[in-house]
Amino acid sequence: MDIALDEDQIMLHDTAVSFAKGALTQQQIRDLETTENSFDTGVWKEMAQMGWAAAAFPEQYGGAETGTLELGLIVEALGQGAIPSPLFSSVIESGFLLLDAGSDSQKDEWLPGIGTGDRLMTVALMEANGGLRPQDIRTRITSAGNGFRIDGTKVFVRDAGTSQGIICLARSGDPAKNLTFAIVPRDAQGVTLRRMPAAGGESLWEAKFEGVEVNADAVIGDVGTAWTAAQRLLLRGAAYKSAELVGIGQASLGLTLDYAKVRVQFGKPIGSFQGVQHHCAEMYRDLEVSRLLTWQATASLGGAFAAEREISMAKAKVSQAIPALTRTAHQIHGAIAYYRDYPLELYYHRALAAQAAYGDAAYHRRVLARLLTSDMNAFRGQDPHELPVHYF
Amino acid sequence: MDFQLNAEEAAFRDEIRTFLRRELTPDVFREHRDPSEQGMWTAAFTKAFRRKLGAAGYIGMGWPKEYGGGGRSRVYQAILWDEMEYHRAPGLDRSMTYVPNAVMAFGSTAQKADLLPRMSRGEVSFFVGYSEPEAGSDLASIKTKAVADGDDYIITGQKAFSSDAHMADYVWLQTRTDPNLKRHAGMTMFIVDMKSPGITIAKHPTLAGWTHHSVHFDNVRVPKSAVVGEVDQGWKVVMGAIDFERAALASPGLVGYQFDRLLAWCTQSRDGSDRPIDDAVTQDELVGLAIEAEGARIMNYWLASLHARGQYPQHETSLALLVKRETARLFDEAAMDLLGPYAPLRAGAPHAQLGGEVEIEYRDHLYFQFAAGGFDITRNVIATRGLGLPR
Repeated sequence: MDIALDEDQIMLHDTAVSFAKGALTQQQIRDLETTENSFDTGVWKEMAQMGWAAAAFPEQYGGAETGTLELGLIVEALGQGAIPSPLFSSVIESGFLLLDAGSDSQKDEWLPGIGTGDRLMTVALMEANGGLRPQDIRTRITSAGNGFRIDGTKVFVRDAGTSQGIICLARSGDPAKNLTFAIVPRDAQGVTLRRMPAAGGESLWEAKFEGVEVNADAVIGDVGTAWTAAQRLLLRGAAYKSAELVGIGQASLGLTLDYAKVRVQFGKPIGSFQGVQHHCAEMYRDLEVSRLLTWQATASLGGAFAAEREISMAKAKVSQAIPALTRTAHQIHGAIAYYRDYPLELYYHRALAAQAAYGDAAYHRRVLARLLTSDMNAFRGQDPHELPVHYF
Repeated sequence: MDFQLNAEEAAFRDEIRTFLRRELTPDVFREHRDPSEQGMWTAAFTKAFRRKLGAAGYIGMGWPKEYGGGGRSRVYQAILWDEMEYHRAPGLDRSMTYVPNAVMAFGSTAQKADLLPRMSRGEVSFFVGYSEPEAGSDLASIKTKAVADGDDYIITGQKAFSSDAHMADYVWLQTRTDPNLKRHAGMTMFIVDMKSPGITIAKHPTLAGWTHHSVHFDNVRVPKSAVVGEVDQGWKVVMGAIDFERAALASPGLVGYQFDRLLAWCTQSRDGSDRPIDDAVTQDELVGLAIEAEGARIMNYWLASLHARGQYPQHETSLALLVKRETARLFDEAAMDLLGPYAPLRAGAPHAQLGGEVEIEYRDHLYFQFAAGGFDITRNVIATRGLGLPR
């Protein structure tokens, strides 16, 4: 047991925070929200050059094989700086999915370019029903000639407009879990994209697939076996979105403390009033609990023990705690932060977007409730006590 | 970063669990808990049990070897306290947790040589004399005075809200030695033998059903060697000792026990009722509680990890204490909710659930909200010491 960052981890986090704070001005970040890209290509290249895109990849794909927790520290820092990037779409969704389930030639084709930031990929999972269960996937993939044909509509596809490849999850048979991943070039015939403008500035897209034909080697893994890889993708997404939320919370608390120390009303800094102090203490409390649950979640991705419990606990908690923290931050600031040129609004909106991604709090509480009733020992965590029975 | 016990730590955890289950059987609970004190362990059993812990080498196991300790990492100490709290073991109080830490940090060579070996054997009981009738959360307003008289000091005053004073061999006593200095100066800490003439103890029944104490000091003569640290520098000792105290009180064992007890109850049917756990609302309530319990657990082991790395967390200990106690209160509230009509039934009542324990704790744990730095005081400490907000 050693729940503390070591010197290397602290240095990595410090480096990432100082990069994230300086990479873009607030105005640049705001301007990016309305562009097709939503992120700055130059900044993404810089991040890739620092090794952050490929950080957790194996050496053969240009990676440094850093731990899952370390990548979480980078994501936390980017959240703190509100830096938009295709890290989620290209690395956390697509790169790790290929590492998990892709063929050697698929990995050789995509991973080095993802790692250098030169190529981008994304994953199309969710459909208009908004569900994340296997039966919610209705887009069909069927045999056609020597390859396959895909028909259906996906929503909430990150960075689809700038990705060269879209990995589409589609139904290959009637049993609920008979699902298949296939790599579709974005410019393939029959692919139509529509931007879904959303709070937080992330580039989300509707992707329509109408008679889209792909070669047989576009399929990831075996036909009909995609669901377990999709579940792992969702867990990774939830763990790292929790990390982003922690960074959002850190920035929001930091802005609030800075403001409360200098804003004078009634002849005193407002931070000297206990009403304000107690709000700040609560924000800090929720932030630190969120941070620790999130560290455990991202660390568990690389560990031997089942991560579902740890990740769902983190995402459920953080998805409620951090948006609440940003609401309190605004309350303490008052009208000044209601203006768009004050940085707090960036975090307010990003918290709203991030809590919804890869399962919101209610989704993860349902996951945990299912675990509670289906496998109580797994629900109770490592080496639980025998349940007390002396009462009955 | 490692969120799991390593093999050696896990083996120790198993050893402690085995020890506690062997020593604290249901029969022992029945025999040594005092019904007239709302089921608190008797003083005699508490002292005897602490000696057993000492004999097994557990009390001093995390202390440095120079003080006769086992030199093991603070993680082991956290495991011991966690498991003791979970199993509701007696003796897990200041006498084995934070007073030894404070003696190591601030005591004289003679005090350390005299007390630490006996403390590690579990032979010494302390109470902490900070609060007074007029000085609760504001400890710098204490009035108990110590006046130099030759080689001695003469102590006069009253301490209030003094847990376990009735069974204490010594008091860790905060006094005012110079009333002319500024509030936070002019205080001095003493270790006073409770057998000293002039000490009397008064009883105060609590709404939780057990007896609390206040202590009068009437011209109590103590030698100068009883001073802890420097004369007039007692505030530093109080603050340092309180950091140790908060870390000790942040143990998550109680919360773990509260969760397991409630979970066990929810898996049972009563007289043909549906099992609560089959109800979606109950499931969601248990899920929410499990998440909060996990947060409190990790936070405590985070603190232990920082200590094990040789760091001295300060406001973080306040944070961990707040999280643990707020979480425990959340469980008290949830248990009331889930037990429905049974919630108010007292221990021993026909049809009382879970031995009436949750009704007792609903009252007893009220003190979490005000004792050893109540919730609001703790938020003040976090805001000013931790977050740098102006006073």
